[in-house]
Amino acid sequence: MTTKIDVDGSAAPSDTPGTTARVSPSSARPGSEASLRSPVFVIGASVVGLLVLAALFASWIAPYDPLDPRAGLPLEGPSGEHLLGTDNVGHDIFSQIIWGARPSLIVAVEAATLVVIAGGLVGLVSALLGGWTDLVIARVIDVFLALPGLPSILLIAALVGPGRSTVVLAITLFGWPRVARIVRSQALSLRQRGFIAVARGLGGGPFYLLRRHLAPALGPILVTGFVNVAGVAILVEAGLAFLGLADPSEVTWGSILNEALAYPALYFSLLWTWWVLPAGMVITLAVLGFTFLGVGLEPRFNPRWRSGT
Amino acid sequence: MTATVRDVEANASGPDADVPPGSSRGPSPGPSARPPRRPRFRVLGAYLVTVFVLLNLNFFLPRTLPGDPIDALLATAAPIDNTGQARAELQAYYGLDRPLTEQYVDYFANLAEGDLGRSILSRRPVTDMITERMWWTVLLVGTSVAVATSIGIVGGIHAGWRRGRRSDRGLLAVFISLQNIPGFFLGSVMLYVFAFRLDWFPLSGARTPFADFDSALATVADIAHHLVLPAGVLVIGLLAGPFLLTRAGMVSELGAGYLQLGRAKGLRERRLKYRYAARNALLPVVTATAYELGLAVTIVVFVERVFQYPGLGELVADAAANRDYPTLQGCFLVISLAVVTFNFLADALNARLDPRTTP
Repeated sequence: MTTKIDVDGSAAPSDTPGTTARVSPSSARPGSEASLRSPVFVIGASVVGLLVLAALFASWIAPYDPLDPRAGLPLEGPSGEHLLGTDNVGHDIFSQIIWGARPSLIVAVEAATLVVIAGGLVGLVSALLGGWTDLVIARVIDVFLALPGLPSILLIAALVGPGRSTVVLAITLFGWPRVARIVRSQALSLRQRGFIAVARGLGGGPFYLLRRHLAPALGPILVTGFVNVAGVAILVEAGLAFLGLADPSEVTWGSILNEALAYPALYFSLLWTWWVLPAGMVITLAVLGFTFLGVGLEPRFNPRWRSGT
Repeated sequence: MTATVRDVEANASGPDADVPPGSSRGPSPGPSARPPRRPRFRVLGAYLVTVFVLLNLNFFLPRTLPGDPIDALLATAAPIDNTGQARAELQAYYGLDRPLTEQYVDYFANLAEGDLGRSILSRRPVTDMITERMWWTVLLVGTSVAVATSIGIVGGIHAGWRRGRRSDRGLLAVFISLQNIPGFFLGSVMLYVFAFRLDWFPLSGARTPFADFDSALATVADIAHHLVLPAGVLVIGLLAGPFLLTRAGMVSELGAGYLQLGRAKGLRERRLKYRYAARNALLPVVTATAYELGLAVTIVVFVERVFQYPGLGELVADAAANRDYPTLQGCFLVISLAVVTFNFLADALNARLDPRTTP
């Protein structure tokens, strides 16, 4: 779809993080395949790919049942039998980390899907209807953006009680306005474009316009939004579990950290290195993976490249 | 969790991404996008509406969400409640048996008096607990935001001026990666390395317990010593915002005519960089400090938890873990109001500083 829209790569300021990763003139053109081969994108895609694999094949990869307290003796160090040792109960930590990919990824995908759908719809409706509706929706978006997300999410999670759907809904509630704002502004500027006016003048109905012209132009924004929300969702999910607001029947990376940090003698031996370090690194890696993926996709998709009017 | 959900987005997504949420920057995504003209009364109006929404959220959330807080209370207070008497008493105590309108009026009346109810855990007035702990958080967040903004600005000026060069790319990668490390994990790493292994810093708390220092200076030194690690974690989490914003500002000044003129005049590169370009680039950074604050209160909850720092964040974490609803709601209200108010002040300040945003 980038070809349809006037692209002037050389004039666009490359002041977004992703764009500077490649500055050689040949690859600076947006939409070129080069962006898919950029190291940032490749790293992000591989990390996320690994994550997906771990989540899908957890039952094959993990040597033990993550919830089996008799997988080993309590507080065993790493060994051939327990790659990352065991926790204070006797759970196999490596298995817990592999299984932990599942809840993380599920929350990420569910939250990102909902945010993109809700934000996309609201933004689109707002821009297309215009007038009072648009004014009101724009205000609502502003108000929501001003609310501090984490305290609100914490409050909701504590009120409703632990559970995956709570986390997903809370993230959605505070995530949609960002997507809605970007989609709205893009749709508004698209509406002014000549080709839309021409299509409309030739008798194109709203659904035709949506399908033929708006959807292809907005798709990339939604994809980037999806990736970004997914990363944030992983962070939020882990954070809530760390604070003890996760479903206790489920093993998540955050809950591993929650239990580890609650263990009084955690820091006084090497225990920390196999109980806290791997779980923390996996969370960091997952979030970084999605961030890199987003940054890597950016030059391809960044609306700023297709300079507005 | 950005000014809200912690913004991984802030550095990764679309055109408005490098501008924090709710800022006066408008929707148009073009490269020349400037904040739209926004009369001051509209800023004030939006602020008041947001505050009103907040106060209402705080009232309605616990009353409408599934999962009755009373159930959780009952589980600890009176596990066996065959007659429902305990439930009825609890509901009466919290005024939940009265008509909603009456509760609503009462809620605002109590708020006006600064009464946020009593904690379920400690049975103390929430307002007292908050005022006691608030200053530690103000100290921690204030220091961190100041340090992070300074480092971010210096890094951003440098990176933006040398856009696309090796040092720019390096700084970008480092700052963005650092921001993605969750605060609770980074805190634990710092604690393990610097407090336990190296023994450079104290393990937890904000001051040495029961210590009686003979001079004020020693007390300050003790507090500062306790502050280093938690503030360090916060600074790392906050760096990327001001860095990216400054960098973007510098980049957009790069081709400006006045720089060319200055260069033709024979001005030194240093002068052009700091006195000319940076001066123009820094405007949005000054006001965006308020949004840093929104991010900071998010991270601070986790950081204070890890370091057992006796501030608001730990209070929130404690309350959340123990389902201490009155405390949690009180903290939510105070933190949210603080963030929203700072955002408003930033918008107002922006209007003052940048004549282009006022008609």
